[in-house]
Amino acid sequence: MLQSKKFTWPTAIIYLLLLLGAIVVLYPFFYMLMNSLKFGPEILHSPTRLPTQITLTGFQGVFQSLNMLLLYRNSLILAVSITVLNTFLSSLAAYAIAKIPFPGRNHLFGFMLATMMIPGVLFLIPTYVMIYRLGWVGQFHALIIPSAISVYNIFLIRQFVAGIPNELIEAARLDGANEVRIFANVILPLIRPVLATVAILSFIGSWNDFLGPLLYLNKPETWTVQLGLYQFQSSIPGENAQEIWASMTLITLPLVLVYFLLQDQFVKAFANVSLK
Amino acid sequence: MADTISIDRDTIPRQQQKSRRMWTRIRRGGWGYIFVFPWILVYLVFGLYPLLLSFYLTFFTYSFVTPEDYVFVGLGNWLRGFLDPLFWKGITNIFYNQVIFILVTNVIGLLTAFLLYKVTFAGRIFRTIYFMPVITSVVVLMVVGNYLTSPQGPIQSYMVQLGILDSPVFWKFTESLPMPVIALINSWKWFGVSTVIYLAGLYAVDPQFYEAAQIDGASGWQQFWSITIPQLRPQIFFLLVVNVINGLQMFTEVFTLGYDVFGGPQHQALTPVLYLYAQAFNNSNIGYASTLGLLLALVIALLTVIQFRLFPSDAR
Repeated sequence: MLQSKKFTWPTAIIYLLLLLGAIVVLYPFFYMLMNSLKFGPEILHSPTRLPTQITLTGFQGVFQSLNMLLLYRNSLILAVSITVLNTFLSSLAAYAIAKIPFPGRNHLFGFMLATMMIPGVLFLIPTYVMIYRLGWVGQFHALIIPSAISVYNIFLIRQFVAGIPNELIEAARLDGANEVRIFANVILPLIRPVLATVAILSFIGSWNDFLGPLLYLNKPETWTVQLGLYQFQSSIPGENAQEIWASMTLITLPLVLVYFLLQDQFVKAFANVSLK
Repeated sequence: MADTISIDRDTIPRQQQKSRRMWTRIRRGGWGYIFVFPWILVYLVFGLYPLLLSFYLTFFTYSFVTPEDYVFVGLGNWLRGFLDPLFWKGITNIFYNQVIFILVTNVIGLLTAFLLYKVTFAGRIFRTIYFMPVITSVVVLMVVGNYLTSPQGPIQSYMVQLGILDSPVFWKFTESLPMPVIALINSWKWFGVSTVIYLAGLYAVDPQFYEAAQIDGASGWQQFWSITIPQLRPQIFFLLVVNVINGLQMFTEVFTLGYDVFGGPQHQALTPVLYLYAQAFNNSNIGYASTLGLLLALVIALLTVIQFRLFPSDAR
Protein backbone atom coordinates (compact mmCIF):
# COMPACT_ATOMS: atom_id res chain seq x y z
CA MET A 1 0.00 0.00 0.00
CA LEU A 2 2.92 2.32 0.61
CA GLN A 3 3.90 2.29 -3.05
CA SER A 4 0.50 3.56 -4.15
CA LYS A 5 1.68 7.17 -4.12
CA LYS A 6 4.39 6.41 -6.65
CA PHE A 7 3.65 6.49 -10.35
CA THR A 8 3.53 3.04 -11.91
CA TRP A 9 2.30 2.02 -15.34
CA PRO A 10 -0.30 -0.51 -14.09
CA THR A 11 -1.86 2.16 -11.83
CA ALA A 12 -1.90 4.65 -14.68
CA ILE A 13 -3.66 2.12 -16.93
CA ILE A 14 -6.21 1.36 -14.20
CA TYR A 15 -7.04 5.05 -13.79
CA LEU A 16 -7.20 5.50 -17.54
CA LEU A 17 -9.71 2.64 -17.83
CA LEU A 18 -11.76 3.98 -14.92
CA LEU A 19 -11.81 7.40 -16.54
CA LEU A 20 -12.90 5.91 -19.85
CA GLY A 21 -15.72 4.11 -18.05
CA ALA A 22 -16.77 7.34 -16.35
CA ILE A 23 -16.89 9.13 -19.70
CA VAL A 24 -19.06 6.40 -21.24
CA VAL A 25 -21.41 6.55 -18.23
CA LEU A 26 -21.62 10.34 -18.09
CA TYR A 27 -21.86 11.05 -21.82
CA PRO A 28 -25.62 10.37 -22.18
CA PHE A 29 -26.31 12.65 -19.21
CA PHE A 30 -24.11 15.29 -20.74
CA TYR A 31 -25.80 14.84 -24.13
CA MET A 32 -29.20 15.27 -22.51
CA LEU A 33 -28.22 18.39 -20.56
CA MET A 34 -26.41 19.92 -23.54
CA ASN A 35 -29.34 19.48 -25.89
CA SER A 36 -31.82 20.79 -23.34
CA LEU A 37 -30.00 24.14 -23.52
CA LYS A 38 -30.10 24.43 -27.35
CA PHE A 39 -32.56 25.90 -29.82
CA GLY A 40 -34.71 23.40 -31.70
CA PRO A 41 -33.05 23.56 -35.15
CA GLU A 42 -29.61 23.18 -33.63
CA ILE A 43 -30.66 19.97 -31.85
CA LEU A 44 -31.79 18.48 -35.16
CA HIS A 45 -28.80 19.59 -37.22
CA SER A 46 -25.90 19.20 -34.84
CA PRO A 47 -27.02 17.10 -31.89
CA THR A 48 -23.50 16.14 -30.85
CA ARG A 49 -21.95 19.62 -30.77
CA LEU A 50 -21.91 22.06 -27.89
CA PRO A 51 -24.61 24.74 -28.07
CA THR A 52 -23.51 27.88 -29.91
CA GLN A 53 -26.06 29.82 -27.91
CA ILE A 54 -27.49 28.76 -24.56
CA THR A 55 -31.26 29.06 -24.22
CA LEU A 56 -33.93 28.05 -21.72
CA THR A 57 -36.81 28.04 -24.22
CA GLY A 58 -37.06 24.23 -23.98
CA PHE A 59 -37.69 24.45 -20.26
CA GLN A 60 -40.16 27.30 -20.79
CA GLY A 61 -41.98 25.17 -23.35
CA VAL A 62 -42.27 22.26 -20.93
CA PHE A 63 -43.67 24.46 -18.17
CA GLN A 64 -46.13 26.07 -20.60
CA SER A 65 -47.55 22.89 -22.11
CA LEU A 66 -47.47 20.72 -19.01
CA ASN A 67 -48.39 21.45 -15.44
CA MET A 68 -44.96 20.41 -14.18
CA LEU A 69 -45.67 21.32 -10.57
CA LEU A 70 -48.72 19.05 -10.59
CA LEU A 71 -46.66 16.18 -12.02
CA TYR A 72 -43.98 16.62 -9.37
CA ARG A 73 -46.64 16.87 -6.70
CA ASN A 74 -48.33 13.64 -7.85
CA SER A 75 -45.04 11.76 -8.04
CA LEU A 76 -44.10 13.03 -4.59
CA ILE A 77 -47.47 12.09 -3.06
CA LEU A 78 -47.06 8.55 -4.36
CA ALA A 79 -43.39 8.09 -3.57
CA VAL A 80 -43.55 9.64 -0.10
CA SER A 81 -46.73 7.80 0.95
CA ILE A 82 -45.38 4.46 -0.24
CA THR A 83 -41.96 5.02 1.29
CA VAL A 84 -43.26 6.12 4.70
CA LEU A 85 -46.01 3.51 4.96
CA ASN A 86 -43.89 0.66 3.69
CA THR A 87 -40.86 1.46 5.83
CA PHE A 88 -42.98 1.84 8.95
CA LEU A 89 -45.25 -1.19 8.51
CA SER A 90 -42.45 -3.45 7.28
CA SER A 91 -40.26 -2.62 10.26
CA LEU A 92 -43.14 -3.28 12.68
CA ALA A 93 -43.68 -6.71 11.14
CA ALA A 94 -39.93 -7.36 11.02
CA TYR A 95 -39.61 -6.59 14.73
CA ALA A 96 -42.44 -8.97 15.57
CA ILE A 97 -40.94 -11.73 13.41
CA ALA A 98 -37.46 -11.28 14.85
CA LYS A 99 -38.08 -10.60 18.54
CA ILE A 100 -41.65 -11.23 19.72
CA PRO A 101 -42.35 -14.92 20.27
CA PHE A 102 -45.91 -15.70 19.24
CA PRO A 103 -47.40 -19.03 18.19
CA GLY A 104 -47.08 -19.64 14.45
CA ARG A 105 -44.32 -17.11 14.00
CA ASN A 106 -41.86 -19.41 12.26
CA HIS A 107 -44.52 -20.77 9.95
CA LEU A 108 -45.61 -17.27 9.05
CA PHE A 109 -42.07 -16.22 8.23
CA GLY A 110 -41.52 -19.33 6.13
CA PHE A 111 -44.73 -18.59 4.27
CA MET A 112 -43.67 -14.97 3.69
CA LEU A 113 -40.40 -16.15 2.16
CA ALA A 114 -42.29 -18.55 -0.08
CA THR A 115 -44.46 -15.71 -1.42
CA MET A 116 -41.30 -13.90 -2.52
CA MET A 117 -40.74 -16.62 -5.13
CA ILE A 118 -43.86 -15.64 -7.10
CA PRO A 119 -42.96 -13.26 -9.94
CA GLY A 120 -44.80 -9.96 -9.90
CA VAL A 121 -46.12 -10.30 -13.44
CA LEU A 122 -48.62 -12.89 -12.26
CA PHE A 123 -50.48 -10.25 -10.26
CA LEU A 124 -50.64 -7.69 -13.05
CA ILE A 125 -53.95 -8.69 -14.63
CA PRO A 126 -55.93 -10.02 -11.64
CA THR A 127 -54.96 -7.00 -9.52
CA TYR A 128 -56.07 -4.71 -12.32
CA VAL A 129 -59.39 -6.54 -12.55
CA MET A 130 -59.85 -6.23 -8.81
CA ILE A 131 -58.93 -2.56 -8.62
CA TYR A 132 -61.13 -1.83 -11.63
CA ARG A 133 -64.08 -3.49 -9.91
CA LEU A 134 -63.37 -1.59 -6.68
CA GLY A 135 -63.54 1.61 -8.71
CA TRP A 136 -60.07 2.68 -7.61
CA VAL A 137 -58.71 3.25 -11.13
CA GLY A 138 -57.58 6.86 -11.40
CA GLN A 139 -56.92 7.21 -7.68
CA PHE A 140 -53.60 7.25 -5.87
CA HIS A 141 -54.53 4.65 -3.30
CA ALA A 142 -54.79 2.08 -6.10
CA LEU A 143 -50.98 2.21 -6.12
CA ILE A 144 -50.32 3.11 -2.49
CA ILE A 145 -52.28 0.43 -0.61
CA PRO A 146 -50.90 -2.66 -2.41
CA SER A 147 -47.38 -1.28 -1.82
CA ALA A 148 -47.99 -0.38 1.85
CA ILE A 149 -45.90 -3.31 3.07
CA SER A 150 -43.60 -5.80 1.38
CA VAL A 151 -42.03 -9.11 2.30
CA TYR A 152 -38.80 -8.09 0.70
CA ASN A 153 -38.41 -5.17 3.10
CA ILE A 154 -39.63 -7.20 6.08
CA PHE A 155 -36.91 -9.72 5.25
CA LEU A 156 -34.16 -7.08 4.95
CA ILE A 157 -35.15 -5.39 8.22
CA ARG A 158 -35.61 -8.70 10.06
CA GLN A 159 -32.01 -9.67 9.31
CA PHE A 160 -30.93 -6.43 10.93
CA VAL A 161 -33.26 -6.60 13.95
CA ALA A 162 -32.16 -10.19 14.64
CA GLY A 163 -28.66 -8.82 15.34
CA ILE A 164 -29.87 -6.62 18.20
CA PRO A 165 -29.02 -8.27 21.56
CA ASN A 166 -32.06 -9.69 23.36
CA GLU A 167 -30.74 -8.26 26.67
CA LEU A 168 -31.53 -4.77 25.44
CA ILE A 169 -35.14 -5.67 24.73
CA GLU A 170 -35.51 -7.72 27.93
CA ALA A 171 -34.19 -4.81 29.98
CA ALA A 172 -36.80 -2.51 28.49
CA ARG A 173 -39.50 -5.11 29.14
CA LEU A 174 -38.43 -5.39 32.79
CA ASP A 175 -38.70 -1.61 33.05
CA GLY A 176 -42.33 -2.08 32.12
CA ALA A 177 -42.20 -0.82 28.56
CA ASN A 178 -44.77 -2.39 26.26
CA GLU A 179 -43.92 -3.60 22.75
CA VAL A 180 -44.95 -0.36 21.07
CA ARG A 181 -42.59 1.65 23.26
CA ILE A 182 -39.79 -0.86 22.81
CA PHE A 183 -40.23 -0.62 19.06
CA ALA A 184 -40.27 3.18 19.07
CA ASN A 185 -37.55 3.84 21.65
CA VAL A 186 -35.20 0.86 21.41
CA ILE A 187 -35.55 -0.74 17.98
CA LEU A 188 -36.14 2.20 15.62
CA PRO A 189 -33.04 4.19 16.65
CA LEU A 190 -30.88 1.07 16.25
CA ILE A 191 -32.11 0.05 12.81
CA ARG A 192 -31.66 3.41 11.08
CA PRO A 193 -29.12 2.11 8.54
CA VAL A 194 -31.45 -0.58 7.21
CA LEU A 195 -34.39 1.83 7.28
CA ALA A 196 -32.37 4.11 5.00
CA THR A 197 -31.81 1.17 2.65
CA VAL A 198 -35.48 0.26 2.56
CA ALA A 199 -36.62 3.87 2.22
CA ILE A 200 -34.26 4.56 -0.67
CA LEU A 201 -35.28 1.41 -2.55
CA SER A 202 -38.97 2.18 -2.03
CA PHE A 203 -38.57 5.79 -3.10
CA ILE A 204 -36.60 5.05 -6.27
CA GLY A 205 -38.94 2.19 -7.14
CA SER A 206 -41.99 4.39 -6.81
CA TRP A 207 -40.52 7.52 -8.40
CA ASN A 208 -39.29 5.58 -11.43
CA ASP A 209 -42.32 3.31 -11.73
CA PHE A 210 -43.94 3.50 -15.14
CA LEU A 211 -46.22 0.48 -15.53
CA GLY A 212 -48.16 1.12 -12.30
CA PRO A 213 -49.14 4.72 -13.12
CA LEU A 214 -49.72 3.73 -16.76
CA LEU A 215 -52.35 1.20 -15.68
CA TYR A 216 -53.99 3.00 -12.78
CA LEU A 217 -53.49 6.76 -13.18
CA ASN A 218 -55.17 7.36 -16.52
CA LYS A 219 -56.43 10.90 -15.91
CA PRO A 220 -54.05 13.77 -16.79
CA GLU A 221 -54.54 15.36 -13.37
CA THR A 222 -53.18 12.22 -11.71
CA TRP A 223 -50.19 11.70 -14.04
CA THR A 224 -46.82 11.25 -12.45
CA VAL A 225 -43.64 12.87 -13.77
CA GLN A 226 -42.69 9.73 -15.71
CA LEU A 227 -46.11 9.33 -17.26
CA GLY A 228 -46.66 13.01 -18.03
CA LEU A 229 -43.37 13.44 -19.79
CA TYR A 230 -43.80 10.16 -21.67
CA GLN A 231 -47.23 11.23 -22.96
CA PHE A 232 -45.71 14.55 -23.90
CA GLN A 233 -42.90 13.07 -25.94
CA SER A 234 -45.12 10.57 -27.73
CA SER A 235 -47.90 13.00 -28.67
CA ILE A 236 -46.08 15.05 -31.34
CA PRO A 237 -43.21 13.00 -32.73
CA GLY A 238 -40.08 14.81 -33.87
CA GLU A 239 -41.54 18.26 -33.44
CA ASN A 240 -40.66 19.27 -29.92
CA ALA A 241 -37.04 18.13 -29.59
CA GLN A 242 -36.24 21.06 -27.33
CA GLU A 243 -39.02 20.25 -24.88
CA ILE A 244 -38.18 16.55 -24.88
CA TRP A 245 -34.60 17.14 -23.79
CA ALA A 246 -35.66 19.74 -21.25
CA SER A 247 -38.29 17.41 -19.82
CA MET A 248 -35.83 14.51 -19.58
CA THR A 249 -33.45 16.78 -17.70
CA LEU A 250 -36.29 17.78 -15.39
CA ILE A 251 -37.19 14.16 -14.52
CA THR A 252 -33.58 13.21 -13.89
CA LEU A 253 -32.34 16.23 -11.98
CA PRO A 254 -34.16 15.86 -8.61
CA LEU A 255 -33.14 12.22 -8.21
CA VAL A 256 -29.53 12.86 -9.22
CA LEU A 257 -29.29 15.70 -6.69
CA VAL A 258 -30.65 13.51 -3.89
CA TYR A 259 -28.32 10.76 -5.07
CA PHE A 260 -25.22 12.92 -4.76
CA LEU A 261 -26.26 14.00 -1.28
CA LEU A 262 -26.82 10.42 -0.07
CA GLN A 263 -24.54 8.50 -2.43
CA ASP A 264 -23.16 6.06 0.15
CA GLN A 265 -26.63 5.07 1.34
CA PHE A 266 -27.77 4.53 -2.25
CA VAL A 267 -24.90 2.24 -3.12
CA LYS A 268 -25.21 0.37 0.16
CA ALA A 269 -28.94 -0.03 -0.40
CA PHE A 270 -28.28 -2.06 -3.53
CA ALA A 271 -25.30 -3.93 -2.09
CA ASN A 272 -27.24 -4.92 1.06
CA VAL A 273 -29.92 -6.54 -1.02
CA SER A 274 -27.52 -9.09 -2.45
CA LEU A 275 -25.61 -9.82 0.71
CA LYS A 276 -28.60 -11.33 2.52
CA MET B 1 -34.52 -20.21 7.45
CA ALA B 2 -37.17 -20.73 10.10
CA ASP B 3 -34.95 -22.53 12.59
CA THR B 4 -32.52 -19.62 12.79
CA ILE B 5 -35.05 -17.55 14.72
CA SER B 6 -34.08 -17.41 18.37
CA ILE B 7 -36.48 -19.07 20.74
CA ASP B 8 -37.69 -17.26 23.83
CA ARG B 9 -35.02 -17.96 26.39
CA ASP B 10 -36.87 -17.85 29.68
CA THR B 11 -37.56 -21.57 29.69
CA ILE B 12 -36.89 -22.30 33.39
CA PRO B 13 -39.24 -19.99 35.25
CA ARG B 14 -39.97 -20.35 38.96
CA GLN B 15 -43.17 -22.19 39.71
CA GLN B 16 -44.96 -19.23 41.29
CA GLN B 17 -44.06 -16.92 38.45
CA LYS B 18 -45.29 -19.31 35.84
CA SER B 19 -48.87 -18.08 35.50
CA ARG B 20 -47.82 -14.44 35.50
CA ARG B 21 -45.27 -15.13 32.80
CA MET B 22 -47.91 -16.93 30.80
CA TRP B 23 -49.99 -13.79 30.87
CA THR B 24 -47.22 -11.47 29.78
CA ARG B 25 -46.34 -13.93 27.05
CA ILE B 26 -49.86 -13.94 25.70
CA ARG B 27 -49.98 -10.16 25.91
CA ARG B 28 -46.69 -9.90 24.06
CA GLY B 29 -47.76 -12.50 21.52
CA GLY B 30 -50.83 -10.34 20.98
CA TRP B 31 -48.60 -7.43 20.02
CA GLY B 32 -46.80 -9.76 17.65
CA TYR B 33 -50.04 -10.53 15.85
CA ILE B 34 -50.98 -6.85 15.73
CA PHE B 35 -47.58 -5.97 14.20
CA VAL B 36 -47.79 -8.59 11.44
CA PHE B 37 -51.50 -7.98 10.80
CA PRO B 38 -50.96 -5.30 8.11
CA TRP B 39 -48.95 -7.76 6.05
CA ILE B 40 -51.54 -10.51 6.44
CA LEU B 41 -54.30 -8.13 5.39
CA VAL B 42 -52.43 -6.75 2.37
CA TYR B 43 -51.38 -10.25 1.37
CA LEU B 44 -54.90 -11.69 1.57
CA VAL B 45 -56.39 -8.83 -0.46
CA PHE B 46 -53.59 -8.04 -2.95
CA GLY B 47 -51.75 -11.37 -2.99
CA LEU B 48 -53.90 -14.40 -2.37
CA TYR B 49 -57.15 -13.10 -3.84
CA PRO B 50 -55.60 -11.95 -7.15
CA LEU B 51 -53.76 -15.27 -7.35
CA LEU B 52 -57.01 -17.21 -7.07
CA LEU B 53 -58.80 -14.77 -9.36
CA SER B 54 -56.02 -15.23 -11.88
CA PHE B 55 -56.55 -19.01 -11.95
CA TYR B 56 -60.28 -18.53 -12.18
CA LEU B 57 -60.05 -16.06 -15.06
CA THR B 58 -57.94 -18.44 -17.15
CA PHE B 59 -61.03 -20.58 -17.72
CA PHE B 60 -63.09 -17.74 -19.17
CA THR B 61 -63.22 -15.27 -21.97
CA TYR B 62 -63.78 -12.02 -20.16
CA SER B 63 -63.43 -8.36 -21.07
CA PHE B 64 -63.95 -4.97 -19.49
CA VAL B 65 -66.10 -3.88 -22.40
CA THR B 66 -68.81 -6.40 -21.57
CA PRO B 67 -68.08 -7.36 -17.95
CA GLU B 68 -71.26 -9.45 -17.57
CA ASP B 69 -70.19 -11.83 -20.35
CA TYR B 70 -68.20 -14.59 -18.75
CA VAL B 71 -67.82 -17.29 -21.39
CA PHE B 72 -66.46 -20.54 -20.01
CA VAL B 73 -63.75 -21.90 -22.30
CA GLY B 74 -62.26 -24.64 -20.10
CA LEU B 75 -58.62 -25.16 -20.89
CA GLY B 76 -58.93 -23.24 -24.15
CA ASN B 77 -56.83 -20.29 -22.96
CA TRP B 78 -54.12 -22.62 -21.69
CA LEU B 79 -53.96 -24.56 -24.95
CA ARG B 80 -53.89 -21.35 -26.93
CA GLY B 81 -51.11 -19.96 -24.72
CA PHE B 82 -48.93 -23.06 -25.03
CA LEU B 83 -49.30 -22.95 -28.81
CA ASP B 84 -49.21 -19.16 -29.25
CA PRO B 85 -46.21 -18.33 -31.49
CA LEU B 86 -46.25 -14.70 -30.35
CA PHE B 87 -45.87 -15.65 -26.68
CA TRP B 88 -42.88 -17.83 -27.51
CA LYS B 89 -41.52 -15.17 -29.84
CA GLY B 90 -41.55 -12.88 -26.80
CA ILE B 91 -39.70 -15.48 -24.74
CA THR B 92 -37.03 -16.03 -27.43
CA ASN B 93 -36.64 -12.27 -27.83
CA ILE B 94 -35.92 -12.04 -24.11
CA PHE B 95 -33.40 -14.89 -24.31
CA TYR B 96 -31.65 -13.13 -27.17
CA ASN B 97 -31.67 -9.92 -25.13
CA GLN B 98 -30.59 -11.48 -21.85
CA VAL B 99 -27.67 -13.48 -23.27
CA ILE B 100 -26.12 -10.20 -24.41
CA PHE B 101 -27.21 -8.26 -21.33
CA ILE B 102 -25.94 -10.82 -18.82
CA LEU B 103 -22.66 -11.26 -20.65
CA VAL B 104 -21.99 -7.52 -20.97
CA THR B 105 -23.04 -6.52 -17.43
CA ASN B 106 -21.07 -9.36 -15.88
CA VAL B 107 -17.88 -8.76 -17.83
CA ILE B 108 -18.00 -4.99 -17.39
CA GLY B 109 -19.20 -5.27 -13.79
CA LEU B 110 -16.40 -7.66 -12.93
CA LEU B 111 -13.81 -5.57 -14.74
CA THR B 112 -14.85 -2.30 -13.08
CA ALA B 113 -15.09 -4.01 -9.67
CA PHE B 114 -11.58 -5.35 -10.18
CA LEU B 115 -10.25 -1.91 -11.16
CA LEU B 116 -11.97 -0.27 -8.17
CA TYR B 117 -10.58 -2.99 -5.90
CA LYS B 118 -7.04 -2.24 -7.06
CA VAL B 119 -7.37 1.50 -6.60
CA THR B 120 -6.64 3.31 -3.34
CA PHE B 121 -7.45 6.88 -4.36
CA ALA B 122 -10.69 8.36 -5.78
CA GLY B 123 -12.36 4.94 -6.03
CA ARG B 124 -15.49 6.30 -4.39
CA ILE B 125 -15.93 9.01 -7.02
CA PHE B 126 -15.82 6.46 -9.82
CA ARG B 127 -18.17 4.13 -7.96
CA THR B 128 -20.62 7.00 -7.49
CA ILE B 129 -20.49 7.84 -11.20
CA TYR B 130 -20.89 4.23 -12.32
CA PHE B 131 -23.93 3.88 -10.14
CA MET B 132 -25.68 6.99 -11.48
CA PRO B 133 -27.57 5.28 -14.33
CA VAL B 134 -29.01 2.76 -11.86
CA ILE B 135 -31.14 5.43 -10.20
CA THR B 136 -32.20 7.02 -13.49
CA SER B 137 -35.67 6.14 -14.71
CA VAL B 138 -36.19 3.68 -17.56
CA VAL B 139 -38.34 6.22 -19.42
CA VAL B 140 -35.52 8.77 -19.55
CA LEU B 141 -33.01 6.10 -20.35
CA MET B 142 -34.95 4.73 -23.29
CA VAL B 143 -35.61 8.15 -24.78
CA VAL B 144 -31.94 9.13 -24.46
CA GLY B 145 -30.81 5.70 -25.67
CA ASN B 146 -33.18 5.95 -28.61
CA TYR B 147 -31.65 9.27 -29.71
CA LEU B 148 -28.09 8.12 -29.18
CA THR B 149 -28.64 5.03 -31.34
CA SER B 150 -30.84 6.73 -33.94
CA PRO B 151 -29.57 7.44 -37.50
CA GLN B 152 -28.92 11.09 -36.51
CA GLY B 153 -27.34 10.12 -33.20
CA PRO B 154 -23.66 10.27 -32.34
CA ILE B 155 -23.00 6.51 -32.33
CA GLN B 156 -24.08 5.96 -35.92
CA SER B 157 -22.42 9.13 -37.20
CA TYR B 158 -19.08 8.02 -35.70
CA MET B 159 -19.54 4.56 -37.16
CA VAL B 160 -20.15 6.09 -40.59
CA GLN B 161 -17.08 8.32 -40.22
CA LEU B 162 -14.95 5.33 -39.24
CA GLY B 163 -16.35 3.34 -42.17
CA ILE B 164 -17.94 0.61 -40.03
CA LEU B 165 -21.36 1.56 -41.34
CA ASP B 166 -22.15 2.54 -44.93
CA SER B 167 -25.16 4.68 -44.14
CA PRO B 168 -27.24 5.36 -41.02
CA VAL B 169 -30.03 2.86 -40.32
CA PHE B 170 -33.04 2.77 -38.03
CA TRP B 171 -31.73 -0.08 -35.87
CA LYS B 172 -35.03 0.03 -34.06
CA PHE B 173 -36.90 -1.21 -37.11
CA THR B 174 -34.49 -3.87 -38.33
CA GLU B 175 -35.42 -7.45 -37.67
CA SER B 176 -32.52 -8.58 -35.49
CA LEU B 177 -31.11 -5.45 -33.88
CA PRO B 178 -33.75 -4.07 -31.46
CA MET B 179 -33.01 -6.66 -28.78
CA PRO B 180 -29.20 -6.17 -28.81
CA VAL B 181 -29.66 -2.38 -28.79
CA ILE B 182 -32.00 -2.60 -25.79
CA ALA B 183 -29.57 -5.03 -24.10
CA LEU B 184 -26.73 -2.55 -24.52
CA ILE B 185 -28.77 0.41 -23.25
CA ASN B 186 -29.83 -1.72 -20.29
CA SER B 187 -26.26 -2.83 -19.67
CA TRP B 188 -25.29 0.81 -19.47
CA LYS B 189 -28.04 1.32 -16.90
CA TRP B 190 -27.47 -1.74 -14.73
CA PHE B 191 -23.77 -2.65 -14.77
CA GLY B 192 -23.26 -0.47 -11.67
CA VAL B 193 -25.22 -3.01 -9.62
CA SER B 194 -22.93 -5.82 -10.78
CA THR B 195 -19.92 -3.63 -10.01
CA VAL B 196 -21.04 -2.98 -6.44
CA ILE B 197 -21.97 -6.61 -5.83
CA TYR B 198 -18.72 -7.95 -7.27
CA LEU B 199 -16.72 -5.34 -5.38
CA ALA B 200 -18.26 -6.51 -2.10
CA GLY B 201 -17.44 -10.08 -3.15
CA LEU B 202 -13.82 -9.21 -3.94
CA TYR B 203 -13.33 -7.60 -0.54
CA ALA B 204 -14.66 -10.78 1.07
CA VAL B 205 -12.01 -13.00 -0.54
CA ASP B 206 -9.36 -14.02 1.99
CA PRO B 207 -6.04 -12.42 0.88
CA GLN B 208 -4.23 -15.54 2.09
CA PHE B 209 -5.50 -17.37 -1.01
CA TYR B 210 -3.60 -14.94 -3.23
CA GLU B 211 -0.51 -15.03 -1.04
CA ALA B 212 -0.44 -18.83 -1.18
CA ALA B 213 -0.93 -18.74 -4.95
CA GLN B 214 1.91 -16.24 -5.36
CA ILE B 215 4.22 -18.48 -3.37
CA ASP B 216 3.27 -21.34 -5.69
CA GLY B 217 4.16 -19.07 -8.61
CA ALA B 218 0.67 -18.65 -10.10
CA SER B 219 0.33 -15.85 -12.65
CA GLY B 220 -2.24 -13.05 -12.40
CA TRP B 221 -4.56 -14.82 -14.86
CA GLN B 222 -4.23 -18.15 -13.07
CA GLN B 223 -5.10 -16.45 -9.80
CA PHE B 224 -8.08 -14.76 -11.41
CA TRP B 225 -9.49 -17.98 -12.90
CA SER B 226 -8.77 -20.33 -10.01
CA ILE B 227 -9.29 -18.05 -7.01
CA THR B 228 -11.30 -14.94 -7.84
CA ILE B 229 -13.93 -16.50 -10.09
CA PRO B 230 -14.66 -19.53 -7.84
CA GLN B 231 -14.81 -17.23 -4.82
CA LEU B 232 -17.32 -14.99 -6.58
CA ARG B 233 -19.68 -17.84 -7.45
CA PRO B 234 -22.37 -16.74 -4.95
CA GLN B 235 -22.42 -13.29 -6.57
CA ILE B 236 -22.46 -14.72 -10.09
CA PHE B 237 -25.31 -17.02 -9.15
CA PHE B 238 -27.30 -14.23 -7.50
CA LEU B 239 -26.95 -11.92 -10.51
CA LEU B 240 -27.86 -14.70 -12.93
CA VAL B 241 -31.03 -15.70 -11.09
CA VAL B 242 -32.17 -12.11 -10.55
CA ASN B 243 -31.45 -11.13 -14.16
CA VAL B 244 -33.42 -14.03 -15.59
CA ILE B 245 -36.39 -13.30 -13.31
CA ASN B 246 -36.39 -9.56 -14.05
CA GLY B 247 -35.46 -9.90 -17.71
CA LEU B 248 -38.43 -12.10 -18.53
CA GLN B 249 -40.72 -9.42 -17.07
CA MET B 250 -39.37 -6.62 -19.29
CA PHE B 251 -42.04 -4.13 -20.34
CA THR B 252 -41.24 -0.44 -19.89
CA GLU B 253 -38.13 -0.63 -22.10
CA VAL B 254 -39.99 -1.74 -25.21
CA PHE B 255 -43.14 0.24 -24.46
CA THR B 256 -41.34 3.57 -24.10
CA LEU B 257 -39.09 2.97 -27.12
CA GLY B 258 -42.19 3.63 -29.17
CA TYR B 259 -43.07 0.21 -30.58
CA ASP B 260 -46.70 -0.74 -30.93
CA VAL B 261 -48.03 -3.15 -28.33
CA PHE B 262 -47.13 -6.11 -30.54
CA GLY B 263 -43.47 -5.08 -30.64
CA GLY B 264 -43.24 -3.80 -34.20
CA PRO B 265 -44.23 -5.26 -37.57
CA GLN B 266 -42.08 -8.39 -37.24
CA HIS B 267 -42.61 -8.55 -33.46
CA GLN B 268 -38.88 -7.98 -33.17
CA ALA B 269 -39.32 -6.11 -29.87
CA LEU B 270 -42.20 -8.15 -28.46
CA THR B 271 -41.74 -9.27 -24.85
CA PRO B 272 -44.10 -11.61 -22.97
CA VAL B 273 -45.36 -8.80 -20.70
CA LEU B 274 -45.90 -6.46 -23.66
CA TYR B 275 -47.92 -9.22 -25.32
CA LEU B 276 -49.89 -9.74 -22.13
CA TYR B 277 -50.57 -6.00 -22.03
CA ALA B 278 -51.68 -6.08 -25.67
CA GLN B 279 -54.08 -8.96 -25.00
CA ALA B 280 -55.54 -7.30 -21.89
CA PHE B 281 -55.86 -3.69 -22.99
CA ASN B 282 -55.89 -3.80 -26.79
CA ASN B 283 -57.82 -6.98 -27.45
CA SER B 284 -59.55 -6.69 -24.04
CA ASN B 285 -59.14 -10.40 -23.55
CA ILE B 286 -58.57 -10.50 -19.79
CA GLY B 287 -58.94 -14.26 -19.44
CA TYR B 288 -56.24 -14.93 -22.00
CA ALA B 289 -53.93 -12.22 -20.59
CA SER B 290 -54.31 -13.82 -17.19
CA THR B 291 -53.33 -17.19 -18.64
CA LEU B 292 -50.25 -15.66 -20.25
CA GLY B 293 -49.28 -14.20 -16.86
CA LEU B 294 -49.48 -17.62 -15.23
CA LEU B 295 -47.66 -19.24 -18.11
CA LEU B 296 -44.85 -16.73 -17.86
CA ALA B 297 -44.66 -17.27 -14.09
CA LEU B 298 -44.32 -21.01 -14.79
CA VAL B 299 -41.50 -20.39 -17.28
CA ILE B 300 -39.71 -18.18 -14.73
CA ALA B 301 -40.17 -20.74 -11.93
CA LEU B 302 -38.87 -23.53 -14.17
CA LEU B 303 -35.77 -21.57 -15.18
CA THR B 304 -35.07 -20.61 -11.55
CA VAL B 305 -35.30 -24.25 -10.46
CA ILE B 306 -32.99 -25.29 -13.31
CA GLN B 307 -30.44 -22.67 -12.25
CA PHE B 308 -30.57 -23.86 -8.65
CA ARG B 309 -30.02 -27.44 -9.85
CA LEU B 310 -27.13 -26.54 -12.14
CA PHE B 311 -25.22 -24.61 -9.51
CA PRO B 312 -23.55 -26.65 -6.75
CA SER B 313 -25.19 -25.86 -3.43
CA ASP B 314 -22.07 -24.31 -1.90
CA ALA B 315 -21.98 -21.70 -4.66
CA ARG B 316 -25.32 -20.07 -4.00
